[in-house]
Amino acid sequence: MSIETPGSAVLSVRDLGVRFNSENGVVNAVRGVNFDVMPGKTLGIVGESGSGKSVTSMAVMGLLPTTAEITGSVRLNGTELLGLSDKAMCRYRGKDIAMVFQDPLSSLTPVYTVGTQIVEALTIHNPTMSKLAKEARAVELLAMVGIPSPKDRLKAFPHEFSGGMRQRVMIAIAIANNPRVLIADEPTTALDVTIQAQVLEVLQTAQQETGAAVVMITHDLGVVAGIADDIMVMYAGKPVETGTVEDIYYNPRMPYTMGLLGAVPRVDVGEKSSLVPIDGVPPNLLFEPTGCSFAPRCPLVTDACLDGEPALLKSPGSAAHHAACIRSGELGGDADAREIFHAPPVPVSRFDRIPREERKTVLQLTDVRKHFPLLKGALIKRKVGTVKAVDGLSFDIREGECFSIVGESGSGKTTTLLEIMEFHKDQDGEVVIGGISNKQAADAKTKSAMRKELQMVFQDPTGALDPRFTVYEVLAEPLENLGMARPEIRKRIMELMRLVGLQPDHVNRFPNQFSGGQRQRIGIARALAVNPKLVVLDEPVSALDVSVQAGVINLLDKLRAELGLSYLMVAHDLSVVRHISNRVAVMYLGKIVEIGDVDSVFDRPRHPYTRSLLSAIPVPDPQVERNRERIILQGDLPSPLDAPKGCNFASRCPVFAALPEAKQQKCLSTEPPLMPVPASPPGNIADQQFACFFPDGELDSEMVVSHEDPVVRAP
Amino acid sequence: MFRYLAKRAATYIFMIFLTTSAGYFLAVSSLKPALLEQEKIPRPTPEQVAASMRLKGLDPDLSPWERYVDWLTAILTRWDWGRSPNGAFINAEFGDRVWISTRLFLASIVLTLIIGVALGVYSAARQYKFQDRVITSYSYLAYIVPAPIAYFLVQLAAIRINESVGQRIFFVTGISTPGMEPGWGQFVDMMAHYAVPTTAITLVGWGSYQIAQRQYLLDNVNADFVRTARAKGLTRNQAISRHALRVSFIPVAQSIAFTIPAIFAGGFFAEKIFAWPGIGSWSIDAIGNQDVNAATATLAYGSMIFALGAILADFATSLVDPRVRVS
Repeated sequence: MSIETPGSAVLSVRDLGVRFNSENGVVNAVRGVNFDVMPGKTLGIVGESGSGKSVTSMAVMGLLPTTAEITGSVRLNGTELLGLSDKAMCRYRGKDIAMVFQDPLSSLTPVYTVGTQIVEALTIHNPTMSKLAKEARAVELLAMVGIPSPKDRLKAFPHEFSGGMRQRVMIAIAIANNPRVLIADEPTTALDVTIQAQVLEVLQTAQQETGAAVVMITHDLGVVAGIADDIMVMYAGKPVETGTVEDIYYNPRMPYTMGLLGAVPRVDVGEKSSLVPIDGVPPNLLFEPTGCSFAPRCPLVTDACLDGEPALLKSPGSAAHHAACIRSGELGGDADAREIFHAPPVPVSRFDRIPREERKTVLQLTDVRKHFPLLKGALIKRKVGTVKAVDGLSFDIREGECFSIVGESGSGKTTTLLEIMEFHKDQDGEVVIGGISNKQAADAKTKSAMRKELQMVFQDPTGALDPRFTVYEVLAEPLENLGMARPEIRKRIMELMRLVGLQPDHVNRFPNQFSGGQRQRIGIARALAVNPKLVVLDEPVSALDVSVQAGVINLLDKLRAELGLSYLMVAHDLSVVRHISNRVAVMYLGKIVEIGDVDSVFDRPRHPYTRSLLSAIPVPDPQVERNRERIILQGDLPSPLDAPKGCNFASRCPVFAALPEAKQQKCLSTEPPLMPVPASPPGNIADQQFACFFPDGELDSEMVVSHEDPVVRAP
Repeated sequence: MFRYLAKRAATYIFMIFLTTSAGYFLAVSSLKPALLEQEKIPRPTPEQVAASMRLKGLDPDLSPWERYVDWLTAILTRWDWGRSPNGAFINAEFGDRVWISTRLFLASIVLTLIIGVALGVYSAARQYKFQDRVITSYSYLAYIVPAPIAYFLVQLAAIRINESVGQRIFFVTGISTPGMEPGWGQFVDMMAHYAVPTTAITLVGWGSYQIAQRQYLLDNVNADFVRTARAKGLTRNQAISRHALRVSFIPVAQSIAFTIPAIFAGGFFAEKIFAWPGIGSWSIDAIGNQDVNAATATLAYGSMIFALGAILADFATSLVDPRVRVS
């Protein structure tokens, strides 16, 4: 461990410890954190929730509550920051060291204009600056972070901005005084992938403009792969592995890092393999660990691991690479995480061998529409427009397949699910579930027959379970509705618990006694209780940590194969979609713009929107990330009110922007229909359709960004 | 802004009309002043009673609908709200009493607000410290103690002061001493009459604002935007006073405007105990006296004050919250 501070480090953290007093005792949130950041370089701090990464950054900023007990040393250009009073700390905060927070929606004061809030940051540290100069600087900053017509936007309030725009404003505030260190705490977690790509671009621009050292905190290994120089992996409040990006991604020496890397599905890999699940839950930070804190979850655990906490020791190979594992010597670049963590074999469904056309249809949507009238007026409402949330959707799902809908928020994914669940005869369009059409769903009996065919798993497992129901009651409720006898219910519940990998004797516990991943398993068991044919999954893993997410995805995959289930999934994480789905539909403003086999769509996307979406997703592979071209879409999803007559996507389309005028007219006036992709070997019809007139058009050069690395680093 | 006001006013006038009409029908069908008249000694004949009622526009033989039409026509054409069974004119009586009520409550409302909000901010900044505990406990006590008892206690305290000084400094009841010459003497007399009721109503009233303001501010001191402000280089206290305070005032501003009519409605005890014959006591007396027109008039006044409160609440909210725009 290099305790000496390199002379050039702008921020040096040594042996940082943070303890909180809670009702249950002392929480050791952060223990023994050391790192240095050089000017112009980026350090990525990676870890799951509760690993202490945010607390570390707040301790550096001096923003922890006064009840927190902070030890160690934080030096900014050689000046000790720990122990400074709130007032003394204010000389550095916002000037030399600035921060961008996670949730842009709540991080700006709602009652002040954006301009006021940027100017405030300038006023605090430059009291003598003239009003005009401050305003000019604010305009300059807004322009730098890519906000169009910055001068007028100064007078806008935060609620008039979208999430992505607000995060840009946050970055503008953070870089207002040219800080030496910029800390970004999960800056893109709350944003859509396309917006995430934009914001990451802006952060990189900001770093280039200011030459600041950046500390990037994230749980997403993809986000930091492309932009970080060094990585620190944290677990249970302690760094467990540090090194350059290459060290961490290509040569991990700590089982936890290996597990994390294996737990993330890859959007760029079509080959099907199970994800690496890390069993168990992170340890309770109330107790000082007596051994390695990862030991209870580690497949390589030996007795020696439980004897004292392993120190962060130099690993063979690269000079900067350190790992806190007594067996790190055995784990080289050739160690296979899948083998170590006993990843389950890829499950095979009995339907996989049957061609799709010969399988039964379990769900069929024909021209489903949901239009919301936009009303204005207090007493007497008048219609001023229509929001076409879902506009003419048709697709079908066959037995044993997983069909996913992807798109940005606001594209109509959730409305589609709600329309299917609604199942009412007055709906616009036909929904057929297991042979029952919504047009005949007049009586309650047909409806309950339909509910037996289709069940739903919700996004937030905590909110979806009644906290006052035991697991037994949660699972018994749908069975009681079916009129099942008591002994049978009991038997079925035990069966379900085993099916989803929970201990059957835990049925009398309440949901709050389970972890997030276990709660989602309960949600899945509840959905499966009545033996449905189709399960609707609404962002089933987005609320879960990476390591837990892998286990749930594997479980879903296994259940699909074993029970012959079909899934309809909505997810914003395209890597998850690629991993689990057979077919996928890409939605934009209520319409499907591309649909087909998941490998065809992801490997050979035809529609410019699909291409942009896919290129926006960061891949957990530093080399791929550094060298690839990326399409950065301009702006946000437009309001459905402004949708053009022709192609919805024209306003943001990278192909459209580069088209000659005559062709642009076609896009603007005619709505492109879904067309099949011409088969490459004639006669062999590909399962892929897209809605674009000029899929082969050139991309507008302004929207394509590539970060070519001059020095090619070996893996 | 003007269009918004006009629209809002039209809506509320319609609502006031509805409540007042409904109130009139309720009053006219349940209040029978003629019965009270018959208890007079010497007992008048039913014909005499009916004749006297008819003179005052309170003819008991007409149907409720006919009386309603007469009553409404009088208001719409002559702004005449009718007469009481004792012959008094509602319009004249009403003017006097509104003025008395307003004088009784106006100063205390302003003081209640300022003290309540200020103490709320002060105690939130010192959460769980000694000052906060004292102030907040007092507020809860003021909540619990029935208003009449609190008023009595203040009166007793004022009397005690008078006794210990040996001179009458405060008047515990009444509005003014009759026959004062205009000038300094009258001003001192007015203050001596105002002091006790204003103090009493304020002491009882600020508790709810203090609790609300403290709560809303505490909800905001750990908000993300306060953290952003601190990250810019503001101290914790600066960040709270510049950013959290204004946001926390939004719900308080709204509740302030809405409690004004509530204070009016609860004014009955204060008016009775301090012997200020205002609207509150009149509305209760009207029911006792089987006075249809007075009861309806006080009801109309209550609705109007409430509508004003609602418009004020909209204004106050749009003033402090840019996300709300009146249009």
